[in-house]
Amino acid sequence: MSPMPEAVDALCLTGLSHYTAPVALRERLAFRAEALPRALGAIRARGFLEAAILSTCNRVEVLAIARQADPDAPARIRGFLSEFHGIPEKEFSASLYEPRGVAAAQHLFEVTASLDSQVLGETEILAQAKEAYRVAAETGTCGRVLRRLFERSFFLSKELRAEGGIGRAQASVSSAAVALANKLFDIKGRTVLVLGTGEMAAGIVRALRAGGVVEVYVASRTESRAAEFAQREGGKPCSIQKLGEFLALADITLVSAAAPNYILGPAQAKAAASQRRGRALCIIDISVPRNVDPAVGEVEDVFLYDIDDLENVAKEGRREREQVAARWRPRLAEEARECLRELEDCGIQYTAQRLLEHFDAMRQDVLQQAHAGGMDQRAFDNLARSLERLQGRILHHPLQTLKQAGREGDGAEAAAWVSRLFRLEQQASQGTKDETQ
Amino acid sequence: MTPEVLSYAALACFVLGSVAAIAGFRVETFRSNALQFVLAGAGLALKTVSIGIFCATSPTHFFNSPADVCGLLAWALSFSYLVALAVCAVRSLGALVLPLVSVTLLLSHIFNRQGVTPSVPAGPLLALHILAAFLGYGLFLTACGASVLYLEQTKLLKRKVFGVLFRDLPSLERLERLELVCAWLGLGIFALALAAGGIMARHLNPPRPFWSDPKTLAAVVTLIVFGALALGRTARWLHGRAAALVVLGGAALVLLTFVLSHPLGRPVASGDRFIEPSGEVTATAHLVLSPITRSPDRPITRSEGSSA
Repeated sequence: MSPMPEAVDALCLTGLSHYTAPVALRERLAFRAEALPRALGAIRARGFLEAAILSTCNRVEVLAIARQADPDAPARIRGFLSEFHGIPEKEFSASLYEPRGVAAAQHLFEVTASLDSQVLGETEILAQAKEAYRVAAETGTCGRVLRRLFERSFFLSKELRAEGGIGRAQASVSSAAVALANKLFDIKGRTVLVLGTGEMAAGIVRALRAGGVVEVYVASRTESRAAEFAQREGGKPCSIQKLGEFLALADITLVSAAAPNYILGPAQAKAAASQRRGRALCIIDISVPRNVDPAVGEVEDVFLYDIDDLENVAKEGRREREQVAARWRPRLAEEARECLRELEDCGIQYTAQRLLEHFDAMRQDVLQQAHAGGMDQRAFDNLARSLERLQGRILHHPLQTLKQAGREGDGAEAAAWVSRLFRLEQQASQGTKDETQ
Repeated sequence: MTPEVLSYAALACFVLGSVAAIAGFRVETFRSNALQFVLAGAGLALKTVSIGIFCATSPTHFFNSPADVCGLLAWALSFSYLVALAVCAVRSLGALVLPLVSVTLLLSHIFNRQGVTPSVPAGPLLALHILAAFLGYGLFLTACGASVLYLEQTKLLKRKVFGVLFRDLPSLERLERLELVCAWLGLGIFALALAAGGIMARHLNPPRPFWSDPKTLAAVVTLIVFGALALGRTARWLHGRAAALVVLGGAALVLLTFVLSHPLGRPVASGDRFIEPSGEVTATAHLVLSPITRSPDRPITRSEGSSA
C-alpha cells in the first residue's frame, strides 16, 4: 500500500504542448514508447510517489504526486526532463506550464476530454491518455491518486462526447464530406467515383471508406495515375470515356481533377439522374478552379457541393464544438475540485488508519514484553483491557480533530501534522520496504 | 382516476414530449430517441386507459362528438408517431407531430362531448371501422410530417444552409423510407376501415352509393392517392419531391374527410338527433353534410348506443 500524499498540492503537472512549444522542441522532449517504463522509474527515483507520462505528437506532460506539498517538485521534474533527454533546462523551461493541485487535475480532465487539442473533440487523445495510464499502472507508478484522476477523466471524456456531443459536429473537410453525403443517404455499402487523383481526394476517400463506402472507382485523364491512386486507396481504375455510365452507378462522385474547364455539366448530370430513377446523387467538387458546372446543382435529385461548402460545414462544426467546450470547462473545473476533495478525505482516513495501527503496534509491543516477563494470565488480561481503554481515550480527540478538520477543509494540513508528529510516513515506507523484501 | 384526469395527464406527457423534441435542436440532453419514446409512450398509454375507462363507463357513447374525434385523432397520431420512431428513429419528427398531438388533445377538452347518433347498427364492426379509420388517418398524417421534413431537408441541402436544423434532420433516404412505411401501413389499416364501413353501409335504409356521400368519397380518394403513392414509390416511378408533394395532397384529403364527416364546433341544423355522453337523447337536428345523421325518421333506441 503506497502512502497517501499529504495535500492536494502534492499533485503536480509539468509539460508543454502545441500551444506553448514548436514541434522542433516537442519532438526532442517526446518519449518513445519503449523508454516510458525507464522514464517513470527515474521520476520515482526522484522522490515522487506516483507518476505518469503522456507523450503524443502535440504534447509531453509528466503528471506526478510528490510525497508532500513540495515547492521544489516542478524543479525536480524539469531536472528529470533535462537529464533524461540530455537537453539543457534553459532551452525548454520557458515553454513549460506547471499547474499544481486542482489546476493540474483540471488540465488532465481537459486534455483527456480533448478540450486542449488542436481539433476540439478529436478522439485520439482519449486512447493516448488510456495508454499512458496503462503503462504507468504496469510499471507500478500509478497509485490510488493517479488511478482515481485518470479514471475520472476517462469517464468525463465519454460523458462529454455522449451528452455534450462534442464529437458530433464535423471539424475537418473530410468529415464534412462524409456528413453531407450522410444527409442524403446512409453511405454504408455505397459506391464512390473519384475523378482526378489529388491528395485531398485521397483524404476524403479514406474518410468515406471509414464511413462504410465499399466500392471506389477512379478515373483520370492520365490512366496510369488513376491506376496508381486506385491501388493506393483500394479502388478500381475506370476509363474516363465511360464517365456517364459510372456517374449513374456511383452514389457519390468526388471531383478533384485540376482541369482548366468544367468536365461535368448539367446534361450529363440529368442523364445520370434519370438512369438512377430517383436515387439521390451527391457530387463533391473539391477542384480549384471548379470542374463541375454550378448549374448541375439545379438538376433534381443531384446535390452539388464545392470546397467552400465543405469548409462551411466544417467551420459550423468547429464553432459548435467551441460552444460545447465553453459550456463544459467550468464543469471540469468543478469535477477537479471535487475529485481532489474526495482524495483528501481518503488521505484523512488513511492517516487515521495509520495512527490506529501505530498505537495498536505499540500496545502489542508492551503486552508482549509483559507476557515475556512472566505476568500471570489474570493480570495480563487486566493490563490488555486497561491499555485498550487508554488507547481509545488518547486517540479519541486527535481522531475527532482530524475528522472536523476534514469537514472544515483543513484535512490535508491536519493529516500532515499528525503524520509528522507520529512519524507515520516513515513507518509506512518501512512497511512497504518490508513487504517488498 | 376519471378518464378526464387521465386524459389531462396524457396531455401533460405530450406537452413535455413536444418541449423536449423542440429543445432537442438546441440542448444535447433532450436529443434522445429514448426520451421521446418514453414521453410519447406514457401519453399514449394514459390516453388509451382513459378511452378504455370511458368506454366501460359510458357504453352508449359513439365517439363521434367533436371532442371525441379530437381525442381519438390525438391517440392515433401518437400511436403512429411511436411506430415511426420505432421503425425509422426519426426523432426530429416529434417536433412536428407531438405539438400537433398536444393541440388536438387540448381541443378534445375544449370541444363539447355532444354526439350524433349513427345511422348504422352498433357493434364490433362499427368499433373496428372507427379505430381503423383513425389509425389510418394517424399514419397518413405521420407520413405527411415526414414529407414536410423531407421537403425542408431538400431545401436546406440544395440551398446549402448548414445550420442546426440541417444537422438534426435525418437523411433524405430515411425520411423517404418513413413516408413509405407510414403510407403502406396506413393504406392497409384504412382499407380495413373502408371495408368495415362498406359492410355496414348495406344496412342503410334507403341504400346510397358511396359517391353520394362526400365523406366516403373523400376517404376513397385518399385511399387511391396513398395507394398510388405506395405503389409508385415501391416501383420507383414516383420519388423524392414529387412523392412528398403527393403525400401532402393526401394529407389535405384526410383533413377534408374530417371536415366532411365531423363538423367540429359547427352549428347544426334542426333534424339531427343528439345523444349526451350519458346516452340520453337531448334534441333532434339535421346535419347538412354528415350522412350519419340523415335518418330523421328512424327512432333512436338505447340498444344502438352500446359500441365503440
